[in-house]
Amino acid sequence: MLLYEFEGKKLFKSCGIAVPKSQLLESESQRVKVKPPFVAKAQVLSGNRAKGGGIVFDQTNLFGKQINGEKVERVLVEEAIDYEKEYYLSFSYSTETRGLVMTFGEGGTGVEGKGAKTYAVDFDVLPKELVDTAHKLWEVFTKYDCELAEINPLVIDKAGKAWALDSKVILDDDADFRREEKFPQRNLFGRPPTDRELEARKIDEGDHRGTAGSVYWDLNGDIAVIAAGGGGSIVNMDALLAYGGRPANYTEHSGNPPREKLKKLTKIVLSKPGLKGCWFVGGTANFTDIYETLMGFVDGLKEIKPKYPIVIRRGGPRDKEAFEALAEIGKKEDFNFHIYGRETPMTSTAKIMKELAYGNTNN
Amino acid sequence: MAILITEKTRVLVQGITGKEGSRATLQMKNYATRVLAGVTPGKGGQEVHGVPVYNTIKEALENHPGINASFVAVPNFAAYGAIKEAIENKIPLINILTEHIPIQDSAKAIAMAREANVRIVGPSSIGIISPGIGKVGSIGGDDPRGVYSKGNVGVISKSGGMASEISWILTKNGIGQSTVIGIGGDILVGSGFADLMADFEKDEQTKALVLFGEIGGTYEEEAAEFIKSGKFTKKVVSFVSGLFAETLPQGTKLGHAGAIIYGEKGSYKSKINSLKEAGVIIAKTPDEIPGLLEI
Repeated sequence: MLLYEFEGKKLFKSCGIAVPKSQLLESESQRVKVKPPFVAKAQVLSGNRAKGGGIVFDQTNLFGKQINGEKVERVLVEEAIDYEKEYYLSFSYSTETRGLVMTFGEGGTGVEGKGAKTYAVDFDVLPKELVDTAHKLWEVFTKYDCELAEINPLVIDKAGKAWALDSKVILDDDADFRREEKFPQRNLFGRPPTDRELEARKIDEGDHRGTAGSVYWDLNGDIAVIAAGGGGSIVNMDALLAYGGRPANYTEHSGNPPREKLKKLTKIVLSKPGLKGCWFVGGTANFTDIYETLMGFVDGLKEIKPKYPIVIRRGGPRDKEAFEALAEIGKKEDFNFHIYGRETPMTSTAKIMKELAYGNTNN
Repeated sequence: MAILITEKTRVLVQGITGKEGSRATLQMKNYATRVLAGVTPGKGGQEVHGVPVYNTIKEALENHPGINASFVAVPNFAAYGAIKEAIENKIPLINILTEHIPIQDSAKAIAMAREANVRIVGPSSIGIISPGIGKVGSIGGDDPRGVYSKGNVGVISKSGGMASEISWILTKNGIGQSTVIGIGGDILVGSGFADLMADFEKDEQTKALVLFGEIGGTYEEEAAEFIKSGKFTKKVVSFVSGLFAETLPQGTKLGHAGAIIYGEKGSYKSKINSLKEAGVIIAKTPDEIPGLLEI
């Protein structure tokens, strides 16, 4: 999870990193208590905030502005710091070294392109004036299970004191279970999480038998997608886009989730208005029970009773049994089923779905 | 001859009394893989599908000195301790099924394994199968025979489901596999493409290789470098996914932890360009792979 600047700075402060005196404004009418000169910064998740007009001085007229597509709802006001030098410093993981790295360089915004260098974690390569802050940032990084802890710029004032003027922190979601600090859901798509996104994430809570809906995003299209597999789901989304299909959502299920999880997920995915089709798609599973997962899908369908075309492509354990049952249920419930097994290339059913949903045109 | 899993493989299952461990144990035995022992702290003395359970790896090794591979199927919070125990006991191959291991724990385990010259495959790995010889992990489920077949194409995949789908496509077209490996879709993995390509290069059974990659990280680029430097000389066909992910805001989480991009690094374009430069043939869909292999 990517944190907002003010959230990251809370973690910085808790480990003793110096941050300027500040106030978080949550509405335009709030009185500013920080005395000028001050800097006001839009609290958005996208980078390049300064270029997007998200940083102003001695005024706070940022509310409601769009910064790189994100609406500004909070503004952090901070005392301006007079400084002499600025640096970039971060800790993160590198897939190249398969381990921890420290990135350090001189200069501030955009420094990644300005010669910041990556090292193994070694405090000795740093200028003396940064060592203490680096140790504290290291504490933030390890204590809170971060994927990234970055200060940019990290500045030195006239008295030689180091200040973190900005923060970028990405928390490792897989370590949520052992981190006490909790943070609310992000407005990742420039909007608050939708009810469907929040509901879908609840499916796996307290039930570790496979996953279904832990990752769910509402998108702008009209073809509902219930995809199987962390990898296969992306392959199929790529195919749907390539054929001109417009996905209504992204979600995946994997690791042999029980029937009831698929029922819940199906109901959530198909609760969206204006759908033109539904695509239940997956490869040839290793151990996910195709009968159970497809029957869970059908349980959901029976409640929603959609009339639009439903394209199913799946393979794996008990697939024959599943398809026999589907054929029967389809007739009985009058579902507009188009069923394909492992003999049919997975990605080719994207084209079939698109044509059934939109007609045989290029829309 | 295949790689990693051979006739000599003798397996230990860590977390054997859990649902995943127990299920995989039965599957491995049914596929004629020699599973000698299991470990679950506090459950020593039990049996799971006829396999004896011990409290510690040390005890298991004392009774079964032939063990040379460990399959880790413990919950994520216990994974680091389990992997550490396997490394300390010098088990040369550790295959980790466990998903959602905190990256800090994975990093520590990978560093420790390197130091000890132990190979880790995973985390989040579906397993390793050498068709007709044996398997470690959940790969192939209860009956791998319909999907995986013995032959001379190696498969390395970031996705377990796609390892299966690709093997099925190959099998359907009469192309068998030497060894199929799910390396996992995490940010940090014990074995990347290049690490395993070194083994496939030496393996006489393997004539060509299929790589399933996806956006995020630098493992595909590393594979390309490995080929360019002349260390891998066999034919490689690759399929890379993730264009969809690039239509979403940066940092959007998808099915695999590693399939995430911040900035240019790990992009689809970077991967495709590096692989093409290295002479790798790119398949536009998984179903094109058999035709491109031309064997």
